Amino acid sequence: MTLPAAPPLTAARGAISLSGITRIFAGHIPAVDHIDLDIHAGEFFTLLGPSGCGKTTLLRMIAGFETPDAGRILISGREMQEVPAFKRAVNTVFQSYALFPHLNVEQNIGFGLKMQGVKTPERKKRVDAIMELMQIGQFATRSAAQLSGGQRQRVALARALVNEPEVVLLDEPLSALDAKLRAELQIELLRMQKRLGMTFIFVTHDQHEALVMSDRIAVMSKGKIQQVGPVLDVYEKPQNVFVAEFLGLSNIWPILSAQGQTAQTALGPLEVADVHLARLCAPPQAPEAVPPPTPGRLAMIRPEKIWIYNDAAAPTGRPNMFPGTIREAIYMGASTQYRIELHCGQFVLAYDTNNQAAERSWRPGENVAVELKPENIMLVEP
Amino acid sequence: MIPRSVRYLLSGISWPVYILLYTPLALVAYYSFAPAPNQMGHSLHAYGVLFHDAEVLTALQRSLLLAFFSATISTMLGTLLGYGLCRFRNRRAKGVLANIPSLIIYTPIIMPSLVFGISELIFFNFVHTYTGLLAAGLQTMIIAHITFQVPYVTLTVFARLAGLDPYLFDASHDLYADGIKSFIHLIIPVVQPAIIGGFLLGITLSIDDFTISFFTAGPGSVTLPIYIYSAIARKGITPEVNAIGTLMIGSIIALALIHFFITRHRERGSQFAARGNIT
Repeated sequence: MTLPAAPPLTAARGAISLSGITRIFAGHIPAVDHIDLDIHAGEFFTLLGPSGCGKTTLLRMIAGFETPDAGRILISGREMQEVPAFKRAVNTVFQSYALFPHLNVEQNIGFGLKMQGVKTPERKKRVDAIMELMQIGQFATRSAAQLSGGQRQRVALARALVNEPEVVLLDEPLSALDAKLRAELQIELLRMQKRLGMTFIFVTHDQHEALVMSDRIAVMSKGKIQQVGPVLDVYEKPQNVFVAEFLGLSNIWPILSAQGQTAQTALGPLEVADVHLARLCAPPQAPEAVPPPTPGRLAMIRPEKIWIYNDAAAPTGRPNMFPGTIREAIYMGASTQYRIELHCGQFVLAYDTNNQAAERSWRPGENVAVELKPENIMLVEP
Repeated sequence: MIPRSVRYLLSGISWPVYILLYTPLALVAYYSFAPAPNQMGHSLHAYGVLFHDAEVLTALQRSLLLAFFSATISTMLGTLLGYGLCRFRNRRAKGVLANIPSLIIYTPIIMPSLVFGISELIFFNFVHTYTGLLAAGLQTMIIAHITFQVPYVTLTVFARLAGLDPYLFDASHDLYADGIKSFIHLIIPVVQPAIIGGFLLGITLSIDDFTISFFTAGPGSVTLPIYIYSAIARKGITPEVNAIGTLMIGSIIALALIHFFITRHRERGSQFAARGNIT
């Protein structure tokens, strides 16, 4: 007996495939510009970007509230261009929650089932089950206006989940909450997603939130996707300056020229572990550079990847060791952020963890040496 | 903080204004209790005469009929119009274009009713001359009353809808409700207070209206305001006229109170909600 062929990955229940999606609002530059994106079934996927980057427009097109001007949307392998929002097995948690003001919690949650024609006993059973799961049963008969922000957020999520949609869309659902509640609900949301195994597409402008929650992230800017990948890749190996800077602090220097594993930068010669250095950063006049190298690669290193030593105790004989002076020290609890002026005049941003293993903390004016380990230096596009 | 002297001054001014507003109404009520001819004191004589006057009762009946039908139809039309103007307005429009909905709504309201009445008269005459339809009478009055009530209903419904979270409409589509289901399960319940308010306002405006009714009425479609006008023209202000006035004041106050309690009930609900938010 042979097993039936597995369906293509993009046809699995809850998988989304976008190709060439474009949306242009009259008289404006494209809000969403030729986006190709595959979202796997059952993953927690985040669209991350600054406000106005098109992430919400993209989400609204998946939901069916907006129609793309070009491109195809496939949900669970089915074409969605002609399918109106109310026929898509997709439910949304809105930024404002958009709970119905004339209905109580129970009725709000049951709205979708009622519209689908689910009969009262069955509906009641499912609404009760989801309220139990979300721990909001005690608010069942309250009106939406009588709930706190966190409770509303739970009701909005329950209202989406009770329909057992193929995909759940979340449009900055935590942005109205205070930091502590937000952190709690991030974890709760994540647990819920893993437990139910539904595809979640989460829109946020908060890089920390994106890092905490996502399986994969798409970083968006100006209607285009800058990089897609697992959280770790996007943070550790950003493709370009925008991604590097949007996901956290970074030190970036343009590479002026490259030879072997050594790049010439404003810091002086910098050893880089990336074996592609020579190919990626070959000087434009090099005759063998038949495919012209992408001009102007930059060297990037995250502040937490920088080692700081006492000037006198700095190990010798290692590459990328630069002497300098602490100019600024900002204590941030778990770590301290230092701004260090190197002797060459460049500034470096470095974090040092405030644990017991940490050698000590430094004060402005002290002389130190910083080490930029070659394997921690990434090459990014402008 | 307003200085105490200014506050006293302001409240000092407000009382004469109230007196100016309400004394005439009180006088109407007072004179309605005039005694029967050749008698002294106060009596309900005028009310007795009124309730046995077939002409008055017919006029009243006609006024109520007119008010009910015109208010019902304009509530339905105004609700749909208010919904349409709110739902399908272009959020990105700027300048005059952005204000088209409010222009459409406000223009008939600020139009002098004299102009309105005469233009209705000309229009109905025109249609009647060429088609034989719309002879002056109750039907033309109903149409005329609908036209001036619709903007008020539209305005109340529009204001209610425009104050809602715009994502509610998306949410209902998202939760498997098509246009008609959304209208029945979201729009109607949410704007219900505005619909009731608009209906009551329509009734009040219709019963109150003289100018437009005067121009669009035909023979045998005398409403209460028109009857009062002609009664005064013939016999001057009689206790019966004052009695009608008193009854009208009473009914209008009753309607206003009903509306007040409906809206107050709603506001209390949201006040409570606001308090619930803080905890």
